[in-house]
Amino acid sequence: MRKWSLKILLLLVTVILASCSQTYPSISRGAPLALTINIKDMTISFIDLENREKITDWQMDKPYSGGFLLPDGDTLLLYGRHLATVDLYSLANGKKIKTWKTGKGIDSGILLENGKDIVFTDRERKAVRFFTTDGREISEVPLNENPDSLLERRRKNSLLVLSVSGEKLLEIDLKTKELINCFPVHKSASGVLLKEVQSGDEIWIGGHGSGAVGEKNIHVYDADTGNLLKKIPAPLMPVDFSSGNEEVFAVSHGSNTLYKISKDGIIQGAVQVGANPFRLAVFKEFIIVAGYDSNDIHFINQHSLQIEKSVLVGEGPFQITLRERQ
Amino acid sequence: MKPFKLSLTLKIWLTMSLSILITIIFSFLLSNLFYEKLYLKTVEKSLFREGQNLASDYTGGPLTGEFKEKIEWYNSKTESEVFAVNNPRELSACLPYEIDYETLIGEEERKRLLEGEIIRKVDYEERFDRKVLAVIVPLLDENRLEGIIYLYVPLATISELTNDFSYMWLVAGILFLIVSIYIGTLLVKKLTKPLLEIKAAARRVSDGDYSARVSASENDEIGELASAFNQMSSSIQREDERNKEFLANVSHELRTPLSYINGYSEALLTGIVKTEEEQKKYLSLIHRESKRMNRIVGDLLELSRLDMDVYQIIKTPLPLAQLIEDALQKYTLTAQDKGLFLKFNLDPDIIIEGDEGRIEQVLQNIMDNALRYTEKGGISVKLEKHEEGCVLEISDTGIGIPKEDLAHIKERFFRVNKARTRRDGGTGLGLAISDKIVRLHGGRLVIDSVFGEGTTVRIILPVMELNQ
Repeated sequence: MRKWSLKILLLLVTVILASCSQTYPSISRGAPLALTINIKDMTISFIDLENREKITDWQMDKPYSGGFLLPDGDTLLLYGRHLATVDLYSLANGKKIKTWKTGKGIDSGILLENGKDIVFTDRERKAVRFFTTDGREISEVPLNENPDSLLERRRKNSLLVLSVSGEKLLEIDLKTKELINCFPVHKSASGVLLKEVQSGDEIWIGGHGSGAVGEKNIHVYDADTGNLLKKIPAPLMPVDFSSGNEEVFAVSHGSNTLYKISKDGIIQGAVQVGANPFRLAVFKEFIIVAGYDSNDIHFINQHSLQIEKSVLVGEGPFQITLRERQ
Repeated sequence: MKPFKLSLTLKIWLTMSLSILITIIFSFLLSNLFYEKLYLKTVEKSLFREGQNLASDYTGGPLTGEFKEKIEWYNSKTESEVFAVNNPRELSACLPYEIDYETLIGEEERKRLLEGEIIRKVDYEERFDRKVLAVIVPLLDENRLEGIIYLYVPLATISELTNDFSYMWLVAGILFLIVSIYIGTLLVKKLTKPLLEIKAAARRVSDGDYSARVSASENDEIGELASAFNQMSSSIQREDERNKEFLANVSHELRTPLSYINGYSEALLTGIVKTEEEQKKYLSLIHRESKRMNRIVGDLLELSRLDMDVYQIIKTPLPLAQLIEDALQKYTLTAQDKGLFLKFNLDPDIIIEGDEGRIEQVLQNIMDNALRYTEKGGISVKLEKHEEGCVLEISDTGIGIPKEDLAHIKERFFRVNKARTRRDGGTGLGLAISDKIVRLHGGRLVIDSVFGEGTTVRIILPVMELNQ
């Protein structure tokens, strides 16, 4: 009799323990939100965009390197190159809700404008892979190059894929899932921006430089011909871009500088911000810049380029994702 | 198979040589280690200080050309290699992005530098294609790593230096080893020579040559051992001689009465003695000699019993004055017969712990001697307190003992005048027995004598503590 009760107790404990997955502080729905994925300490920091205050940190148990929010504004999708799965968390519940077995190699991803499809770059397979938001893989386009950054080109309903090691920019038709264009780009390219201008689309690409020489310019290519249109000097090592209302903002991590650039490619202003900043995002009249070494984000006024507020986040913020309004 | 045997000389030699060798090897390794550690530490400290001093000139913001020039100028003046780096590419600023470039500092180092830590490292540096001792000082503007000052010393030069040093050490070590082993061998030989002598002497002693002696010249343990050996062999020799003498004495003492008995009985048997009166005289002579033999044998047995450790004295409290008076009562008449006086002066309070019979035996022996050798005058017996207990003094006005014989008087069978004593009927063992008994009582027997004037025997005994 006693033996049985012990066995039942053990079984119960096992079931309870198995059903327990880690829970995190809940993030309320609705409010505009910024989150940074911090790769040094494996945390995710949540910042209330209205108060510009940190809400909380989630200490993750896997080395996620990037992620984005699904259209419901609550599901956070996280991936990492060395992880065999893509994991989905509910912000409101503070729990992992789904796991997609994708295999290792998922290095970056975007949600397409249609709000239904997701594209991942897969470095193991050297391919881009298309998924639905419920985790079903639709198709895979092999590239023979290591894919790095992804960008959707609305005008042509295509996908731009930057391959840093291949020193190429590839274009895939989103309808046919076929490679439709490919042109060479400069070495150690990093950060891609599509700028729609009257004459056509421009692609702005930054970079880290080659060898011991840091990249000083933003390279502007014609999106259709691949011709280098111009170089905009933005030393040192511009690596991320974001479009404001009129201007383009670029962050150069080598000189810790945020540049404000007119659509014609003229530097209109610059400000030193953070330490080793890798990412930026635009929210209303602010530009948010994450300092990778300073472990903080800075709110900079678009017009005055004044740093209005700095908020400490986890160690090594490597990506900023925004939830503007649910 | 004969077991392998190491001589003491070889053992000492081996121990000493091994100790020298171990000391040399150990001190070599240790000094090498210390040298390297200390040297590296000193170089590292000086680089550290240099770096700190140079970094103190940095006032924030991006590194200026002027600052870099200053560092270059300093580099041209100093022995170590110094340079400033502000290229973020070199400083691993592009990590975690994949970069196809071997940076000057790694990710972990960058992290430590960002925390303001000055990095010291001893490692192979691909950039310089050699092992270096490097110190990296961060130039931080708030939390921005604007640059570093990299100071290094190629380690090859240090190793070369220690290598030279090692060879010198090795040569000096070998020379030292040879010299010290040579000196050591001489020392060991000198040290063990007396031991070998002692060994040879001990062998001679065991073969019966008790005259074997060794020269104890050294004033150390071995010297002491040699002199102890010499004492031992002298003692053995003395004891041996004494034994021989004793045996000779015993046989001599026994032979005299035996030859009497032999002669008289032969005379009786062969019928040389005719008259009955003569026969009786002869028989009484035989009887006297056999009694004498009996006494000698009895005394010898007594002595050997006293010599044995198992012999026990049954001690009881004895009023000594009473005992002396009773025991000497019988001598009053004999003394009167010989025309001698016998005086007593006894302290009646003295009580000793002793064996009544034995003490009486001692008194008898001494009184016998006193009466035997005193022809005129008399004997005084005195008992009084003494610092060691009590003293019984028996003084006579007899013939006395010559000074040269006084030392041997207590020895077995020792006689001042052998013929006379034998005639007087003593066995020559009385004083030896008395001395033994007194010693067994914890006392001592002292004999003083002036030849021709008289002898004084003093028996000093411990008294019984009444308050116990």
